[in-house]
This record gives sequence, C-alpha cells and structure tokens, in this order.
Amino acid sequence: MMEDEAFTDINGKTISLDCQSHSSFCREFTVSSPKTSMAKVMVYTCCVWLLSYTVFFFTQNTAVLSAAIVITLVSMMLHIHFVKVDHESLLVIGSLGIQLSSNYASGRETTTFIEMNKIKDIVINEAIYMHQIIYFLCVLLKDPSEPDAVSSVVPLFQSSKPRLNCLVKIYKSCQEILSKC
Amino acid sequence: MVLKIFFPQCCNRADSGLLVGRWISGHESAVVLAVIHYPFIPGQVKQYVQQMQTRSGVELSVLGSWSLPKEGQEGMESFLRDLSTIFPQKRWLQISRQMGKTGFICNVLNRDHDGESAQKVKRKKKHEDVKGDEGEEDKEEEEEEEKVIFIHYEQRKVMMSQLHPIENGLQDPKTDSPSELRQMFQTVAQSQPLFFMDKYDDGPLKSTHWQSEGREASIIVELLKQASVPLCLLVTWLLSLWTWICNIRIFSLYPFCFLSSKLSTCVQLSYRTEHMRTLSSPRPAAGHTQFMRKANIFVSFLVDVALGMLLISWLYRDNHISMLANTLVPAADHVAKQLEELLQWLMGAPAGLKMNRALDQVLGRFFLYHIHLWISYIHLMSPFIEGIFWYGGLSACLGLTFALSLLSDMVALLTFHIYCFYVYGARLYCLKIYGLSSLWRLFRGKKWNVLRQRVDSCSYDLDQLFIGTLLFTILLFLLPTTALYYLVFTLLRLVVVLFQGVLHLSVDFINSFPLFAVGLRVCRFYRLAEGVKFRVLCDEPGTALHLLMEINPLKVSTVVQTYRTPTYSCYPKDSWAALVKKLFVGELIYPWRHKTTKTD
Amino acid sequence: MGQRRRVANPPSQGVAGARTDCVRVSDRKHNICMVSDFFYPNMGGVESHIYQLSQCLIQKGHKVVIATHAYDRRKGVRYLTNGLKVYYLPLQVMYNQSTATTCFHSLPLLRCVFVRERITVVHAHSSFSAMAHDALFHAKTMGLNTVFTDHSLFGFADVSSVLTNKLLTVSLCDTNHIVCVSYTSKENTVLRATLNPEIVSVIPNAVDPTDFTPDPSQRQEDRITIVVISRLVYRKGIDLLGGIIPELCLKHPDLHFLIGGEGPKRIVLEEVREKYQLHDRVQLLGALEHKDVRGVLVQGHIFLNTSLTEAFCMAIVEGASCGLQVVSTRVGGIPEVLPEDLITLCEPTVRSLCAGLETVIAQQRSGSLPSPASIHARVKNLYTWKNVAERTEKVYDRVAGEEVLPLDRRLWRLRAHCGPVSGSIFAFVAVLDFLFLLLLQWLVPDRLMDDAVDATGPHRLWRQETIVKQTKSRSHSKGATSS
Repeated sequence: MMEDEAFTDINGKTISLDCQSHSSFCREFTVSSPKTSMAKVMVYTCCVWLLSYTVFFFTQNTAVLSAAIVITLVSMMLHIHFVKVDHESLLVIGSLGIQLSSNYASGRETTTFIEMNKIKDIVINEAIYMHQIIYFLCVLLKDPSEPDAVSSVVPLFQSSKPRLNCLVKIYKSCQEILSKC
Repeated sequence: MVLKIFFPQCCNRADSGLLVGRWISGHESAVVLAVIHYPFIPGQVKQYVQQMQTRSGVELSVLGSWSLPKEGQEGMESFLRDLSTIFPQKRWLQISRQMGKTGFICNVLNRDHDGESAQKVKRKKKHEDVKGDEGEEDKEEEEEEEKVIFIHYEQRKVMMSQLHPIENGLQDPKTDSPSELRQMFQTVAQSQPLFFMDKYDDGPLKSTHWQSEGREASIIVELLKQASVPLCLLVTWLLSLWTWICNIRIFSLYPFCFLSSKLSTCVQLSYRTEHMRTLSSPRPAAGHTQFMRKANIFVSFLVDVALGMLLISWLYRDNHISMLANTLVPAADHVAKQLEELLQWLMGAPAGLKMNRALDQVLGRFFLYHIHLWISYIHLMSPFIEGIFWYGGLSACLGLTFALSLLSDMVALLTFHIYCFYVYGARLYCLKIYGLSSLWRLFRGKKWNVLRQRVDSCSYDLDQLFIGTLLFTILLFLLPTTALYYLVFTLLRLVVVLFQGVLHLSVDFINSFPLFAVGLRVCRFYRLAEGVKFRVLCDEPGTALHLLMEINPLKVSTVVQTYRTPTYSCYPKDSWAALVKKLFVGELIYPWRHKTTKTD
Repeated sequence: MGQRRRVANPPSQGVAGARTDCVRVSDRKHNICMVSDFFYPNMGGVESHIYQLSQCLIQKGHKVVIATHAYDRRKGVRYLTNGLKVYYLPLQVMYNQSTATTCFHSLPLLRCVFVRERITVVHAHSSFSAMAHDALFHAKTMGLNTVFTDHSLFGFADVSSVLTNKLLTVSLCDTNHIVCVSYTSKENTVLRATLNPEIVSVIPNAVDPTDFTPDPSQRQEDRITIVVISRLVYRKGIDLLGGIIPELCLKHPDLHFLIGGEGPKRIVLEEVREKYQLHDRVQLLGALEHKDVRGVLVQGHIFLNTSLTEAFCMAIVEGASCGLQVVSTRVGGIPEVLPEDLITLCEPTVRSLCAGLETVIAQQRSGSLPSPASIHARVKNLYTWKNVAERTEKVYDRVAGEEVLPLDRRLWRLRAHCGPVSGSIFAFVAVLDFLFLLLLQWLVPDRLMDDAVDATGPHRLWRQETIVKQTKSRSHSKGATSS
C-alpha cells in the first residue's frame, strides 16, 4: 500500500510525503525534500567565479583561480555530504520500536533506532525555531527511573520541517500503530 | 501482542529440524540460535540442550520446529506437530518455508503449562481441521490472533559486537530488566559454546548455526598468550624495582617532591609507570571496558615508542644535536638582550606615557639586575648544553612523549627569568589592586566581613578615613606604572605558557588517544555497536513481516569520547573568562594544574 | 471554577475552517495577546494580575495567549491551567528582567505569535517592560488594536523620568485604550504621557478572596506580630523598615517581625538584626511562593507596608483580607484602596510610621480593633477578578470597534503629539518598522504560518478529543535563537 502526496514545508517549498504500509503494524513514512535546482548551483558557482576573476584581474595571480575551483568543488562536496538531506524517513514497527533515518544527497545515511520500551509517546509540539514558531513531530522518551516523566525529546523530520497538515497525517497513523501495541 | 522471532540468516536454507533458542521473558520474543536436523533421538537433544545451558548460562530450550520442504519429503506436517508433545513448552513455533516463496509461515501453538491433555488435543484438532479444509483461512485466523515479525540477523556480527553504552555486569535489581535488544545481544554472545560444534563433527546430532571459517590464526594467538606470561612477569619485576627506587626516602623530602610534581618529565614518567602496571597485571581483562583500556594503552605505547625512535634517528644523524645546541645559546642571549632593551624603553617614557619616575627607575633597575644575573648563568651553562641535549635525546627511546616533556621542562628552565619578572610584577600589582579595593570600600562606609563572607556597613573614625584617603591616593597614582610593568611581563609569560601548553597538549593527545578503538571502528565496525537498524525485506501479502537487522556502528567521535584514556589533562579547566579575571586581578597563572584534580 | 459560558459554534472544527468564522465571531469574543516582560516564574503584582485576568477572560470564552521573554531554561511554548498558552520568547534580558529594546529585533517573533494565534487585541502590561512597548509598536504597525495597562507611578523631576516619560508619550500616543489601576495612577499617566483622559479607564487590581481567609488560631496571643511581605528593594522602602524595627522593638518587648521576600536590600535587615541582636524577634523568611503567603499572613496581627511609590498595593488588600490591621505609607494610589477604618496611613518617614504603628499596637492591646472575620467580610467583595475581567472585557469591546490608524495618519499623529524632534525620530522608526514588516512578509508570508491550534476561546480543543495532542506544560524548544 503506497500513497504519495505533496505538501509544503515551513518555507513554502513542496515536499512529498510517501506513506508505505508494510503490514498492519509496520509503516514507513518518507518525506522527500526537493532536489537542489540547477539554477541555484549555477548562480553560486558564477558568483564564486566572478569574485575570483575580479581578484585575479587585480592581482594577476593564477593561484586565485585554481583556489576558486578547489573551493567550489570542496564546498559542493561538503554540502551534499553533510548538509543537503535528500529524504528523511520514519519507520514505525509496532511493539518493536521506531527508526529514524535521514539520507544525504551523497548517499550517506544516518539511522537511529529507538526501542519501544523507551518510548513514551509521539506528539506534535511547538517550538521556537530561528525567528519562527513552528510545529514539529517528536518522540518523547521515558525516564527509566520514573516512568511518568519525560527524560528527553527526539525531534523528527528535522531538516525537511513539514507543515502542520502533513505532521497531523503522520501523527494519526503513528498513533494507530502505537495504540494497538 | 506481536510475536518477534529473531532468526539467524545462516539458518535460512538449513534442512528441516528443531529450533533451539531462548524465549526472552516479558518481551514476547524468541531468539533462534541453531537448527538441529533430523534424524535425532529426542532424549539426546534434551541432554545436549541441558549441557549447553549449563555451559553458557543461557536458558536454552527447544522453541519449535523448522521445515524446509524438499522433494520426497512430504507428510512431515503431522510429525512436526507431534513433536510438540515431546518437548513440553508453553508455546510451540512451527516455522516453515514453502517452495518458490521467500517468506516464512509461522504457526504458534499455545497451551497452558499444566493444561489437561484433552484440552490440548482438542485445540490441536481444531487446528488440524481447519488446516485440512481451507489452508488460506487458517492463515488469516492465525494472523488475527497472533502477529509475527521475523527479524533476520547475522549471527557472527551480533555475537562479536558490543552494544553501547556499556552496562557493567553489576546491575541494581531495582531498575527494570535490560531492554529487549540488549537481552538478545547478550543471549547470542553468551551462547558461544553452542557454536563450537562443527559441521564435520561426528556427533549424534547435526546442527546449523554460524561456524567459524577456521582456526589457523588461533595457533599464533595461543603462542603469543603463552609468551606474554613471562614477559609480564619480567615487566612486573622491573616495575617493582622502579617503585622501590622511587620510594627511597630522599625523594619524599620537600624539594624533590615539589620538583617532581612540577616537572612534566616526572609527571609523564609516573604516568607511564601507571600504564605499565595496568598492562603487566597477569590477570586477564575483566569485561569489555578494561580490555579496551588495556589494548588502547598498549597500542598508544607502541606508537609512542615508534615515533620516539624516528625522532632519535633524525637527531643522531648528521650531528643535528650540536647544531641545535649552537643555535640555542645565542638565541637565549638574544632574548635577554631584547628584554634589556625593553626594560630600558620602559624606564623612559614608553609609548609617550608619563610614569612615576622614581618607582619606574627602581623597578627597572631591579629587573635589569636580574637579567644581568641571568646572562651570566647562561654563559656558565653554555659548555654543557650540548651534553645535556645528547643525553636528553636518548630519553626519546622511551617514547616521543618523553622527549616532548623534556623539551617543555627545558623551556621552563631557560625562561626562568621571565617567570621571575612575571611573579614580581603580578605580586606588586595584586597587592595594589587589593589595597585599592578595600580602601574603596572604606570610602563607602563598608568593610568586608570575613566571618560572614559579605560586605557589611561600618562607621569609621576621622583619622582612619584620612589615612585611608592618603593611601588610596598614593596607590592610585602609582598604579599605572606597576600596571604597565605587569602588562608587559604578563604578555611575555603568556607566550611561554602558550608554547608549553601546545607541548602538553600534544603529549596528552598521544597519551590518551584511543588508537585501538578507532582502528576497530574502521576495520571491524560491527564490534562497537551503537544500536541496530532495520530494513524491511520482502513483504509479500499473506506472509509475516520480515525485517533485516543490521548493526549500526558507533560514531567515531563517540568512540574517542568513550575510550579516551583518562589523563591529567593539563589544560586550564577554568574558562577563558576566569582566566581573564585572574589576569586582571593579578593572580598567578601556571601551565600545570594542581595535582588534586584528575579528570576521568 | 464556576460557570463556563459555552459558545454557540461547535468547537470541533478543523484548523483551517477556524480562521474564516473567527473573524465573524470576533465582535463578541476576542483573541487577546497579553505581552509583558514580567510573568511567572518571576513573582510580583504584575505577574499575578496578568495570570488572574487571563484566567477570568478564558472563563468568559475569550482566547488568551501570553507572550513574555525566556526565563533561564524556560523558553518555548508552555501551557498553564485551563489551556492558557504562554510564549517564552528568547529575547535578551538587559536589566531587572526587562528586555533590551531596539524597536526591531522582537518583531519577527511577535509577528509570528500575532499571526499564528490570529490575535485581534494586543494588551501590553507595565511601563517598565520594554517588551510591552515593543509589542505595542509592532501591533500598531501590523494594524491590530492595542490596550495598555500601567501598573506603576513615576516622578517628573529627574533625568531618567523625563526620558521614560517621553518614551511613554510616544508609545501611548496612538494606543487605542489605556487602563490604570487607580485614580492616582490615571492622573499620573495622563500627565506623563499627555493623554486624552477619555481613553484612560481605571480598573483596580483584585485579590482572590478565597485564597486569603483569616485564621486567628494561627496567631500567638502572647506577642504582637507585624508581617511585612514585599520584595526587598529600594522602592518598597526597606530602608524605612530598617529604621522602624530597632525603635519599636526597644519599646515593646513582645513585638515580633515576620518578613517575607527577597532582594538586594536584605542585607540592611540582616545588619539591623545583628546590630540589635534581634534574631529571635525578626524573622527573615526569604522568597515566598504565592501559595505560602497566606500561611505567613495569618500568623500576624498587623500588616505593614512601607512602599515609597505604589500605584495600587495588592499586598495590603491581601493583608486586610486575611484579617490583619494594615499600616501603610500614604503614597500613590494607596489611600483609595481600602476604606479609612481598615487602614492606618502614615507619611513615609520613620517617625510617622512608628507613631502609626504605636497607635495600632495600643488598639490591639486594648482589643478595640475589629475582628479578623469582620475585616475579611468587608474586604471580600471590594476587589474580585470577575469584576476586573468584566470591566476589561468592556474595554476590549470598545477597542475592537475602533479603527487602527493607518501609517500616514500615525506618522502625522506622532509628529503632532510628541514634539518635532522626538516625533520625527519615532516617525522615522515607525516607517522602518513598517518596511521591516514588509520584508518579513515577503520572506515568510502569512499563509506559510500554520494557524495555532486553539486551547482557549470559542474554538478551544482543550480537554476534548484533540486533533493534535499537546503536551501539557512541557514544551521543548530546540535550536531556539533570538534573531
């Protein structure tokens, strides 16, 4: 069972939510961010090039040009390896746990798995983020010493930051699974 | 409730037989460890399981049956079901694969532990009936009453990995039992004896589980183990000799004691002794943490010595030592000359500032005299410097860290004059600051209450106020001169401290960097697990959910943080703000820390 | 908590649907945002005023949110009793829990609060609060109706007052309505900010009479106890208190002092205590929680207030409500708070206060004072929050009908009302603020902000089948930075 829907993130960019239901108690939600547009890359590259060429024009030092190439390449690589997240997914397996993973544009993947006995609940929360107040989905972790308290909060979909309507959809189907087990 | 079955990947294609494993209590999950094949005698299986249970300390049991249909093996179904009566269990799993399908099918037979046989039969019969009539419906019914997840794991990796954060064996019984995954990891790791049975063994039982590829390397390991015992004894003996020397009474006298705590070479020496003592203890490491600690110390010691050897080979080639010595003496001379010029400049009108002439002259002369003393000291020393270097360089064979600590000590000794100037300047400045602050309080009709650690109000006499005012004025007008001297010498001192700090930092880095753990993370990433990650395998409709469990390796930064060898880290723990405040008030700053604080 | 007025609309409406008909209902029910630097966990009169007023307004069916600055680790969004939502915004605190004002830096966050909560009325509190003035300024730029409550009195003489008064003039010149807590305060504010008295209302503070009931059994009859509960700061006249204590203790050996509160002037009292060796007779209780105040009050016979300036003293009402005889300085709005026979007013000098206390002590000894229960019965109905909320509601209704000055008229008014120099400067600032708002609206358009789920007001979801599960009073703010 697959669904694909388009939503927007808090900055108004389109993101797509893909709900995949593997079984009645195992669902996967994938939020994909839009690809980096070619125009943006071109603009940045052109800016660096123009700047380096101006410096070259005044200094007549070719090292500036080669440095510009290296800087552009390295920063692009760093960007796709550490910054640009291609898609984030949330795998909820009833009675086993919740797995969050984010795939970077370079293919790097970071995954965290949280066992069910540590999880208290999944909720939608409000937080101040930069100069905005946004809604976000988060997993509440239990405090092992006192079961009613919340020891910490793990925010979900940190880089795609979907808007409330998308979060509500994910939240509802997560609760369906959590309430069953 | 969902039933979770941890299933080893190596048993995917095993022949039909019995599943051996463990039920994890309270979590509705079963860990399958091995499959015992047909034919077997039930009594022997029971005996074998019993034997393994005592050897590994895991509550092993027969979980159920496994069937992989092949041509010519039909009609096993009823036989497998009858097996459940032989091995009495609360639950009996019947896992089977069908031809041409990737998914497994699992039937669970529940029964009460002390239930009557009639009931059992009835229930079983019902199962049989339904199955005979319409197989499809049966499955659905099964699914409704009990959902099953298969979690495939790689037995070897799970067995060898260490789940972080490490929990030491001692657990307070108050806290709830360890989490499901941790129990699963423990079960697999502890049932190592089960995996020793080889597929070539000619025992009465045949089984499938993870098998090690071979044991060739283990001969070398055994030999090394044998050899390490006398080596350890030798090192221990040497160490005891060394501690005996260190404990001779003369070293505990005041000057030695003080010196050895301040010289970084001595600190490094005691530190290495500690390391060797840890390494040479004949007992095997108890627990993962201690083992990693030993291994880290050993590897970093080896690397240290190798680097030291490199340094030696460079130093003693091409007469580098005398070259160094010949440049050092003129350099020290040059520094002294520069200082002298600086003092001359300060005694005039530095940067156009108008100072208190008398105080300025007194201070300047005082410092000049010191420099004079210093220069004569350097000249006295200069013939021996090469020798000192030559013998000092030998210490590098104990490791690069020793050479660096020695260098730091030498810098400290060679810049002793700067230190002296700094102390004089700081003390004078400090005195003035304190004087001014308490006199300022006197003006406001307050005083510092020592007993209560607070500022109280207080009424002063007229003559007290008069004297106070006089003193305050004098101190205030003399402050700029002192402050200037203090500023200049503090800057010089800071340069030296910075250099020593860099040296200490590098020594500390070599001492504490967990090289072994990082190597393990790079080469055998599954050994240090942060957790697990799951991937959904095929999800054919109708079969149970299949997940693949992989090991999520620890992040490198976490590895370094967890396994860093504790040292006396030499870095001002106090923040930059505290340092600036100290400088402002005129308290002395040191590159070393007072020994009471040890970081773990 | 009494009658809960239900609203005609069914409350279980979607978030998107809520916005359209919210506008329609707004002539009856308002979406109010209270802004002040001072709110819990800080303790004081303004804080409890905001809290109690909000609670009463929520009961009347309005939607109320509170915006304040972050206190230490308390930042982000929190919910208090009955779904009262509090935004602790990460703004830099400068002095005395008041934020730094640059007129601009708080705009993005405040705008976000106003837009997502669909605020119709912005109600700022306390003239000491820079954040309140900022909020007024931004709200006017955004075209929202504004109300301001002044809780304190100011002088006219010294330099700081002159500057603050100018600022107040600018801030209030185009505010729709101003509320003062007493007539003295109204007079003061009107003069300071050169306002038209027509738009200034007087709504006194109140106390919850059920919280402050007398209990004479707690008193120790072999002694006379004087209770002082206030922050130990200069404004509260702690130096006077330090003069009174030794003088009276010398004359009356059975006199005891019970002092609750914390502050920089504590040292004065400690010294007095040590100098005259009064450790057993002068008890310093330190900071008190609001729930403990009654327990302290009922132990005393006389309540002493030594404030040097006060717009409306809630403490003396609380004291009287607990059945204590009140002695206070005759400053600010204090004379109009209690009927004359319940309070003894003195000049703010040590001698006058001592004389006043002496007479009350003499009355106490002779037993000619009214009984605590009778005092409580009289004070009980003087000031109630329900009354305050009703009067405030009327102010909101009136304000909601008024128009907010558009930018050109606002500029004209600033120029005309605040003098040529400062008027021009602030007109320029207002233009900048408007441009900044346009920039923000271009960067983060209003339509991209999710409407907040209402916890209070006509479409409240609190305590019902919630679409979004809110974690009660435990909100976590991550990566919160002040922009």
